[in-house]
Amino acid sequence: MSRIDMATVAQLTGVTKKFGSQRVLDGISIDVRAGEVTALLGPNGAGKTTSVGVLCGRLTPDSGEALLFGLDPQRPAARARMGVMLQSAGLPDVLTVTELVTLQSGYYRRPREVDETIALAGLEGLEKRRAGKLSGGQQRRLLYALAICGRPDLLVLDEPTTGLDHEARRRLWATVRDEANSGTAVLLTTHYLDEADALADRIVVIDGGRIVADDSPAGIKASVAGATIRCRTGLGDALLAALPGVRSMSRSGATANLLVADGAATARHLLAADPELGDLTIAAASLEDALANLSASLKEAA
Amino acid sequence: MTDTALAPPFGVFVRESAAELRKSLRLPQFALPTIVTPAVFYGLFAVAMNKAGPEAAAYSLAGFGVFAATGPALFGFGAGVAVERDTGLIELKRVSPLPAGAYVTAKLVSAAAMAAIALVLIYALALVGGVRLSASGWAALLAIHLLAVVPFALIGFAVGMRLNAKGAIAAANALYLGFSIVGGLWMPITMLPPWMQHVAWITPSFHLGQMGLWAIGMPSQGSLAAHLASLAAITAAAAWLAISGWRRSPA
Repeated sequence: MSRIDMATVAQLTGVTKKFGSQRVLDGISIDVRAGEVTALLGPNGAGKTTSVGVLCGRLTPDSGEALLFGLDPQRPAARARMGVMLQSAGLPDVLTVTELVTLQSGYYRRPREVDETIALAGLEGLEKRRAGKLSGGQQRRLLYALAICGRPDLLVLDEPTTGLDHEARRRLWATVRDEANSGTAVLLTTHYLDEADALADRIVVIDGGRIVADDSPAGIKASVAGATIRCRTGLGDALLAALPGVRSMSRSGATANLLVADGAATARHLLAADPELGDLTIAAASLEDALANLSASLKEAA
Repeated sequence: MTDTALAPPFGVFVRESAAELRKSLRLPQFALPTIVTPAVFYGLFAVAMNKAGPEAAAYSLAGFGVFAATGPALFGFGAGVAVERDTGLIELKRVSPLPAGAYVTAKLVSAAAMAAIALVLIYALALVGGVRLSASGWAALLAIHLLAVVPFALIGFAVGMRLNAKGAIAAANALYLGFSIVGGLWMPITMLPPWMQHVAWITPSFHLGQMGLWAIGMPSQGSLAAHLASLAAITAAAAWLAISGWRRSPA
């Protein structure tokens, strides 16, 4: 028996899945909660889409359990409150935007007005256009429209901004944020760090079918590395790497980049060791730094 | 809890079927050949070139009507399902709160509607060719010809769930011609080599064609009971293949 608290709308518990002899999911547990954007972040082939497939009832787990609103996801009733945007779904070329949105809206009991859905997805003016005549970015937005048309309590977005230009990405982020703020649970997969950082309340980092980290974006940054130090210094690489608190270093020309636990502490050692030190900057580690470091330390451990 | 309830299924089935039919009719490269080919064949061979009189035109009508139903069923289902599996549309339908079977039912309704259009053309040509049947004769024939959509649709579905789009189109073409020839839809079964007449028993087209002949009081082979039993067995086998393909398919 699993216990679901009020806020949890979807849950994977210890899910494993093999395709042939390849173990794609190796004990994945994720809670998706109302009003929260959960990002499933990882490289291609990490198991993100498979996790989503199990959660949506498209795939049956080999072991472990998937629950959608407390029900087996394979039951259509469990999917009545969910909207899904798949990574690649070819819509029928010959049907129009309005026809497709109307058809999909009809699957739900209390859908949005078709016009409202079209406006939210940024498809105004394209209502009568056939899906086959839309650009790649417009087709992605149409898939997004189909995902939100039913006023879902859970919105699942598999790589939603792949193929979108910068402007369209920003707009989609804003509407996804609005959905979450109005109480919708959002699960999104992405391999873009900036997307996870900009949108997510929680990031679940997945690699090789396992969860590597599960925390807030700030928490992930803090747990992995505190700060980056950039400076111009004559000190050698070995000396720099040996300074207290340094986790990794790289160098471009005369400029050294250090990933450190505590920016101020290491900076004091640096200044003491090199009186000639110049152009010193200390910044909180970016998510990208954090993940690079996380993967590196995992590989060392392996 | 009303929140988890699905939309009323009947409405979903109707809208899904209407969308499916609209899709078919907007694809002239699919709609035209499947609707027109049987009428052209029938008009040419059984009406225009017919020197044996209305009797022969009526005899041919039984078989060509089945032929008219196989096209939409094999291509709409076989090729259609395979294409939509390749593009990922089926995946989208599967994660949507669609009542079980709505996708398949809509495809079946659409295929039956396309077959009905093709049948109207053929029946009109038959009237031109002097075929005269009683009202009950026409009704029985129409029922058999529309019924023919079901086994062929299931066979097409089974093919579509197992082959990719290109393979499914090739297979549908081969089955379209094979079932028509071996099932005796284009010429009387007795004109075929004996071995083909044996093979005919495992084709749904043969049984449906003979049932059509029986319905309009023409000489036919085998008993109605034998045809119905064989057809039921073939349909059940096709249904099993189709459903297991649907379950097995990861996408």
